[in-house]
Amino acid sequence: MIRHLFKLIWNRKKSNFLLMTEIFFCFLVLFGVVSLIVYNVRNYTKPLGFEYDNVWLLTMRPSADSAALNHQNLEQAVQQVRAYPEVEYAALTNSNAPFAFSQMTDNLSYDNKRSTQADHYQVDDDYADVLQVQPSQGRWFGPEDNAAHHQPIVINREMQRQLFGEEEPLGKLIPQNDSVNYQVVGVVDHFRGYSEYSAERPAFFTRINLQQSDKSFWGELLIRVKPGTGIAFEEKMVREVSGIGKDWTLEVATLEKMRQNKSKLTMVPMIALGLVCGFLILNVALGLFGVLWYNISRRNGEIGLRRALGASANQVYRQFIGEVLVLATFGLLLGVAFAVQFPLLQVFEVESVVYFLALGISVVVIYILVVGCALYPSRQAAAIHPAIALHEE
Amino acid sequence: MITLKNIEKVYQTKTIETVALHNVNLHIPKGEFVSVMGPSGCGKSTLLNIMGLLDEPTNGIVEIDGNPISRYRDKELAHIRNQKIGFVFQSYHLINDLSVIDNVELPLLYRSGTSAAETRRLALTALEKVGLSARTKHYPTQLSGGQRQRVAIARALIGQPEIILADEPTGNLDSVMGEEIMNILLTLNREDGTTIVMVTHDENMAHKTERLIRFFDGQQVSDAKTTAYDYQKV
Repeated sequence: MIRHLFKLIWNRKKSNFLLMTEIFFCFLVLFGVVSLIVYNVRNYTKPLGFEYDNVWLLTMRPSADSAALNHQNLEQAVQQVRAYPEVEYAALTNSNAPFAFSQMTDNLSYDNKRSTQADHYQVDDDYADVLQVQPSQGRWFGPEDNAAHHQPIVINREMQRQLFGEEEPLGKLIPQNDSVNYQVVGVVDHFRGYSEYSAERPAFFTRINLQQSDKSFWGELLIRVKPGTGIAFEEKMVREVSGIGKDWTLEVATLEKMRQNKSKLTMVPMIALGLVCGFLILNVALGLFGVLWYNISRRNGEIGLRRALGASANQVYRQFIGEVLVLATFGLLLGVAFAVQFPLLQVFEVESVVYFLALGISVVVIYILVVGCALYPSRQAAAIHPAIALHEE
Repeated sequence: MITLKNIEKVYQTKTIETVALHNVNLHIPKGEFVSVMGPSGCGKSTLLNIMGLLDEPTNGIVEIDGNPISRYRDKELAHIRNQKIGFVFQSYHLINDLSVIDNVELPLLYRSGTSAAETRRLALTALEKVGLSARTKHYPTQLSGGQRQRVAIARALIGQPEIILADEPTGNLDSVMGEEIMNILLTLNREDGTTIVMVTHDENMAHKTERLIRFFDGQQVSDAKTTAYDYQKV
């Protein structure tokens, strides 16, 4: 029967061409949207590598006054914040705090063979305590680094993989410029600071040492507050820090709020695309339903004939469902041949598994869609009285 | 073989009740070639549909080999049609998108246990019987009316049915083609012992069969053996 159905659909390929084309394009759009969803969901379920609950970000923007004064005020402000009983830890960082709309990347190369573009986070010693980052190998920064000959860095596992492969990363020197080297002192398994939906990218942390850089300014202070700390403390802190940096502009945001804002950036286009795709699928479904119903009504004589030759109503029903499945298979074969190029050519540098998952889901959805559209017309076909069908012909 | 007892068929719409068959009693024994005649709308095709288990009588009993079919469900009726009955229609009812041989193979699609190779062999034998073995790869639209009807007969034959129900098989053909088809049916009846019930408007064709039943306004008005001479001459 399957051979018969393939033969029948193949011989009717001209009249079925539009339906197959519709299924082909529907599959491609679905594949695109599902790939995006699978990509985001897979990233979302991976560890971030840090904890953002009860973490606030105090952003300090000084005016164009003396750098030395600003630096002095910054030291004082950090000490002030750390002294509050509501604060557990506070750590300076550059503008690319977690979930911020800011990125800093550097090109690093090792042994002149391997290079990578990595996210660069400048952080101080308390950063690991604030965000509860746990090095799985080596250590985080500490006072022992004050006398270090090379500039210490902590890298993430992805960066280790890209720069050193299977080699032991600890102690490795990475040239920063002609005179300064980075030296790996620790490795964290994960760190995805940009967004919950972003893929793990190579990242490394360099150490901020306020005492050694007397004119530098880092305007972001991450603060881990005790659970339950509220707006009253925020107002107090801002008021008192304003007293130190009198002309500074201060802003406080929770990482939770920043995470939500960043999520919206991913979710909004995903939902919009999903809606467009859903609308398209609905249109395709209605079109399919109409065309199938029309085709079946045109084939009354054939239905009557098949019943006369020994097909039961159930066999007629299954035949029409089978035909739609075969029709979808022809459309999908084209679609899959096209879609499979994405993992093969590594388009957008997305893991192949994302494409294969999306491909599988899209194929299943299309089959469910076409079967769903064919159920009622096929049932109608099966219910046609053979004598009437033959008479109509 | 086929027995109809007190058959009545009424088509009912909201406003009109049409009696298609009234009090029809018939017995068609195995191996008989029966023709059914009557004016248009007298119930001939309805009778054939009821005999072929494509339609149910409003009242009365239909028996195939002594078994009343009213107790059979759709699946069992389909099985009987597939195993025992072959249909030939005035308008051939070939599927234009399938080749001649694929059309002929259709009934065996609904019969389990026949391999593809065996199906192909049986289809070729059936086409040989109707003289169309050279047209297996053709499509129905590439054939003449007579050839199409021969394909339809081959399709009816492939399952080796005991009964062939032919609804005006020569109705769309010229006299020469009609003769050809009639000869094939007579040969099937005489050589293979196939029971044939043929609806026709053609007196000449009807007189070539063994028995002629006439209908008028849904009722059987005569049932008689035809002259031996006409029957023997083919």
